[in-house]
Amino acid sequence: MDSKKLEELVKKYWDCETSLEEEQQLREYFRGDSIPETWRETAALFRYFDEQKTKTVEPQFDETVVTRIKEMPKKREGKVVKWVTASLRIAAGVAVLLAAVYFVRQELREDQAIAVEDTFEDPQQAFEETKKALLMISKGFGRAEQQAKKINMFNEAQEKVQTTESEL
Amino acid sequence: MDLEAFQNRVLPAKNKLFRFALRMLGNDEEARDVIQEVFIRVWNGRENWGDIQNMEAWCMRITKNLSLDRLRSIQRKGTYPVAEGFDVQHADATPDVKTELGESMQHVSQLIAALPEKQRQIIHLRDVEGYTYNEISEMLELDMNQVKVNLFRARNAVREKLMKINAYGL
Repeated sequence: MDSKKLEELVKKYWDCETSLEEEQQLREYFRGDSIPETWRETAALFRYFDEQKTKTVEPQFDETVVTRIKEMPKKREGKVVKWVTASLRIAAGVAVLLAAVYFVRQELREDQAIAVEDTFEDPQQAFEETKKALLMISKGFGRAEQQAKKINMFNEAQEKVQTTESEL
Repeated sequence: MDLEAFQNRVLPAKNKLFRFALRMLGNDEEARDVIQEVFIRVWNGRENWGDIQNMEAWCMRITKNLSLDRLRSIQRKGTYPVAEGFDVQHADATPDVKTELGESMQHVSQLIAALPEKQRQIIHLRDVEGYTYNEISEMLELDMNQVKVNLFRARNAVREKLMKINAYGL
């Protein structure tokens, strides 16, 4: 490559106007031994790119990846396992629901049983207890009546005042 | 698709993917880990291979995303410091190193490592791997203009610094 063409091409390269082929030409040129001193830095750049491309993974790499892939669970098995876990989940859900219904019903039955159960064995004793309770209530009423009479007195007094006022 | 198709169509991209992951992560081991993961993902998604037009670009895109994830988790954990301008060259210095050209190549390596992430990715994909702008825009999920602008900036940053080295011998 003559120096004029080289200069042109390098300028194009810096301006990002080179094609891939032209960039390849530059790389190949700078690989040569007799590079003029003025191009030393540019040559270093292209040599650097060249050298970077020599980095590779170790030869056993493919094998490592293929082994890892083979060790992975097969797709079909995956599907079966998925189906089994899904149905187990549903089964667990249903079991919890059934248990809940059973316990709630049990609870309700116990409540009703308590409501209708008798507290006294002997009818006579039950009658006495009821009478006692009713007496307690009537006593309360009696006391309340006495208090109410006092309020009545106020009412009567008020009425008297009102009638005298209207007479006047 | 079966394993044979995978070995013929997907696995041959391994070195390109490795170099790209290495460019992003700056660590051989991490890069190898990431591309193994890439291949496992591609294998697991084999039902959709029919929809993929450019398998290599697709793999490269996954490599980019997984490398970014890895970078983030490394930086979060602080497992190893990803220093600005890390130098992937040092590990296996070539015989050139002792010559002047070798020295200049060391400079280049540092210059490129110091570029912003996106520019570094693009200059690598174009100038090391020789991909078209179209392929790069597909790999990096960027539009073509962004690819060109970033490549222009990357090459010019490198050029400016190289010229300084040339002029002052820095």
